Amino acid sequence: MNKKIISITFLLIIVVSIAIVYSYYNSTDTSEKQFDSSIETIDDNVVTEEIDNTFLEEDEEIEIGEMI
Amino acid sequence: MKKKWTLLIMLMILISISSLAIADETEENNEEEDEYQEETDGENETQGFDIDNETEELDIDNVTIKEIEIMNNSLGAEIRLLQLEKAIIKNLLKGEMAVEVLTGLDYNTTGLEEILSEMKNLLDDVKAINTSSNDSVQLFVEFKIKAVNLTKQFRETIRELLDGEKLKEIRERIREMISEDLENCSKMIRNKIKQFNRNQLYKLYGIIGEANSSFVNEYLNGNISVAELKLQISKTINQMNKERKYEIFSEIKEGNIKKKIHAKVSFEGMKNKGKGNNNGHDNGKGNGK
Repeated sequence: MNKKIISITFLLIIVVSIAIVYSYYNSTDTSEKQFDSSIETIDDNVVTEEIDNTFLEEDEEIEIGEMI
Repeated sequence: MKKKWTLLIMLMILISISSLAIADETEENNEEEDEYQEETDGENETQGFDIDNETEELDIDNVTIKEIEIMNNSLGAEIRLLQLEKAIIKNLLKGEMAVEVLTGLDYNTTGLEEILSEMKNLLDDVKAINTSSNDSVQLFVEFKIKAVNLTKQFRETIRELLDGEKLKEIRERIREMISEDLENCSKMIRNKIKQFNRNQLYKLYGIIGEANSSFVNEYLNGNISVAELKLQISKTINQMNKERKYEIFSEIKEGNIKKKIHAKVSFEGMKNKGKGNNNGHDNGKGNGK
């Protein structure tokens, strides 16, 4: 009887260990997927910022300092 | 029976070790990251003093790098050189007016006049630059630094002559300046920038895959401002589907990054060359004195 209980306990421990290892790997996979999908989503403001950098303002000036 | 026991225990140990090894690996990575973070923080702390001292110079450098980004073609070079010309003309006019006021008040203005004469020579040098030549960027940076240094010298010299109240008074008198040269220069810059923006617009249309000539004409005729132009283009891109938007954004971003890297590399190259020849930022100061 005792032997049976011990065997079941060991089996349980093994199953739990496998479950932990599996969940660990599984969780890292999902975070990577989330990261990849975030790259593809571009915020409208980021596009606007790049467009801003493409053009020049007509009243833009070069600063060399004030004389007085 | 004993064999079965041993096998079970071995299996357990193996599983425990493998899970521990995995956990340890992630901890090691975290520790390495922490160590790296600490190292970089430490470096920043030790360099803190130097960073504070060099902030002003770095600011000027960063602005100049941004300015030379567009100088990879003759139109961009023309715009920046005209803007530098305008800045020098503006300061020359202010300086001349200040000297006139000081002469009227019987001050000795010899030092100030010498600085202004150097500034006039500098203006001629800037006007003489060939915008299509390879060294136009280098000359722009060199002359801008000279202009900054001459302005600083003038400011320091006049501050030695006058107190705060009188300086304020002169500042007020020369605030409203009207000059034909300055007006012409501003007009030319505005036209060149319009041409530059038109080219940029066509480049963007090339990336997007559609063109709106009437929109370009509206901008050139002054019916649409740059802000409206930017807004319209942003809207067009943002309304596209996710994949197309990503493609267009990547291409625009790539172009902008390339320009930035090119400008930074050529600026650093010029700076190092200047240091090698002992001719960097001190160049203008040396000539100015």
